[in-house]
Amino acid sequence: MFNDTFFLLSAGLTLAGALGVVFTKNLMHACVMLLGTLFGVAGLYACIGADFLAASQLVIYAGGVVILMLFAVMLTGGSSDQANKFGIEKIAGMGNTKTYIFAGVSVAVISLTLLKIMAGYMKTFEQGELPPLTSTVEEIGTLLVTDHVLAFEISSILLLGALVGAAAIARPRKG
Amino acid sequence: MSPSVNEYVNQFEIHQKLVAMVSDFLGFDASGLMAFLVFAVTAFAIVNVMALIGGLGTYAERKISADIQLRQGPNRVGPYGILQFLADGVKMIMKETIYPAQADRALFNLAPVLALLGVFATLAVVPFSSGFTLANLNVGVFYLIGVGSLVGVAVFLGGYAANSKWSMLGGMRGASQIISYEVPVTITTLSIVLLAGGLSFGHFVENQGGFPHEWFIFHNPFTFIGFFVFFVGMLAETNRAPFDLPEAESELVSGYHTEYTGMRFGLFALAEYIEVFVLCGVAVAAFLGGYKVPFDLGNGVIFVEKLGLPAIIGKNIGQVLQLGSFVTKTLALYYVVIWVRWTFPRIRVDQVMTICWKYLTPIALFNLIGVVFWMYAFDNQSLWEILSHLGGGSHGGHH
Amino acid sequence: MTSYTLDVYMPVIILMAFAIGLVLISVFVAQILRPFKPNALKEQAYECGEEPVGTAWSNFNVRFYVVSLIFIVFDVEGALMFPVASIYRKFVEIGEGAVLVGSLLVFISVLVVGIVYCWAKGDLDWVRSFQLSDEQINQLKGIEEKA
Repeated sequence: MFNDTFFLLSAGLTLAGALGVVFTKNLMHACVMLLGTLFGVAGLYACIGADFLAASQLVIYAGGVVILMLFAVMLTGGSSDQANKFGIEKIAGMGNTKTYIFAGVSVAVISLTLLKIMAGYMKTFEQGELPPLTSTVEEIGTLLVTDHVLAFEISSILLLGALVGAAAIARPRKG
Repeated sequence: MSPSVNEYVNQFEIHQKLVAMVSDFLGFDASGLMAFLVFAVTAFAIVNVMALIGGLGTYAERKISADIQLRQGPNRVGPYGILQFLADGVKMIMKETIYPAQADRALFNLAPVLALLGVFATLAVVPFSSGFTLANLNVGVFYLIGVGSLVGVAVFLGGYAANSKWSMLGGMRGASQIISYEVPVTITTLSIVLLAGGLSFGHFVENQGGFPHEWFIFHNPFTFIGFFVFFVGMLAETNRAPFDLPEAESELVSGYHTEYTGMRFGLFALAEYIEVFVLCGVAVAAFLGGYKVPFDLGNGVIFVEKLGLPAIIGKNIGQVLQLGSFVTKTLALYYVVIWVRWTFPRIRVDQVMTICWKYLTPIALFNLIGVVFWMYAFDNQSLWEILSHLGGGSHGGHH
Repeated sequence: MTSYTLDVYMPVIILMAFAIGLVLISVFVAQILRPFKPNALKEQAYECGEEPVGTAWSNFNVRFYVVSLIFIVFDVEGALMFPVASIYRKFVEIGEGAVLVGSLLVFISVLVVGIVYCWAKGDLDWVRSFQLSDEQINQLKGIEEKA
């Protein structure tokens, strides 16, 4: 029973956070809602036994990327209610009939496609049991050093590239 | 491997009989419900004790600082002023909540909640004793690092939400300080993970012994330096001691909690003191032998076999001894943290960043490489084991 | 490998619930006990006696952003090294330690190159020191000699 409660809590947190990100007008509030979403996703990972993945989601996303985004927003001066200055009608192309028709048609097409795909699954749906959960850290470690050692090393070069690139972009221009 | 509370309690027949009784009474298998109750009661106890430690921490800080500065400190409320923290708590509850005019109310209310949430969630993995660990997660220390960074977000939001220049500066500086010092702390923890062979706190503590020469801090010279790197990083992560620029009293008024009044300020302070305790506990578990008692008294085997006590009493005496060992070591480190605060002058913000990125991170990386080579060359033996083998080899001649 | 059940995450949720509950209780108790008389003067931001001018939400220096970028890269590096570090001891015991020493060294050295690069280019300095080119130095000297 706790499995179901845990799953519902995590899924609810993810959905609530995601809806909050989309519907809020304040950029800072959106970042904080994103924090909630990432927490929920970490809970979902933990639900299916990916404990290392859940912890690294917490460390890297909730602890790093959210702060990065908050700092980036502060770089541009915070959000000072710019949603109120331009009402949704005043931005060109927003809120007129063409936009609504286009949005409505795309929503209909996408949801019908998704429902068709899901209907194919649901007919042959059997609920299975999860295998007993074991610690995944040692398995990931062994695989990273034996089968996927190239991926491991290349990821460090990728990180180096990200570091150099980001530092080069964020450096103030001379003169 | 140390189990969680539920598994520890389950090994006693009394508890098993209780579960069977409740199952018969309710009609379904009550083990899940009983597990929940055990966890809830233990968590409640831990939360209360932590709140008490947080409050007494403020009292201890004032008394110790008074001692260092040759004055008295609080001595009016209760014998030796020990009830001072209760008086402070009552005062804080009665203070008016002032929302600054241009503040962001939702985030203003959310920041202390996030700080407290992050700190309480770290309590779940702290190894108080082998049977009393709430949840011996397989990714224990990694989870702790992750949830501890929530406090950084809370510091930033607290500074941002109040819309005062002091708060904003304090919040930005505090958040960048916290995230910077996570890097040497993570790398030093990595070197301990190398030695312990696992990420859970059970691995950390079970691979050390009760005596000082069996602790990880004396395992090799690299972990010795690593302990100090971890300690300095821990001071900076909790915005304490010489790194308290984000809440600097003489420079930023009160930094990121300038505009907070009453209970919200109390919650921030409580979160900070509990976080110091938790991180001292992590340092003790990783470097100083955790809850291990000398002569292996902790697992109660001696009491059951030699003294002939029933299992439940013998094991619980062992647990109490382990708890005492852990708490003593943690409080000793806590005392050092308070001592350091009143000894050193505050460090400037650019010096804070220089210390982290130009000194601590290279030292931590060097320690990591050092531990890797030590373990490879000496086959996981500690310095003392090598010395004793050298000494014993000349005597006996057998391994 | 020992298996665990999801019950192990129960204390985490219980403790988070306690944290939220503590805040709600204290705020609720405080609503009853404390006064609430807002007036415009109390709600001004505190600036040591001066009248506060403008909001605090202005553009911040880019150095905070650079620090958080460098932190993210090192955080991901640490996160990737955790599983390899947890397996190291077992590998050394069975005598295959050299493989791991090699891969760990390659991984760490690539990131050491990164931090050395940032150090050399001055990204780690809190206060950036700009290097003047030779003409600019001569120009400044020329101005000083004339003055």
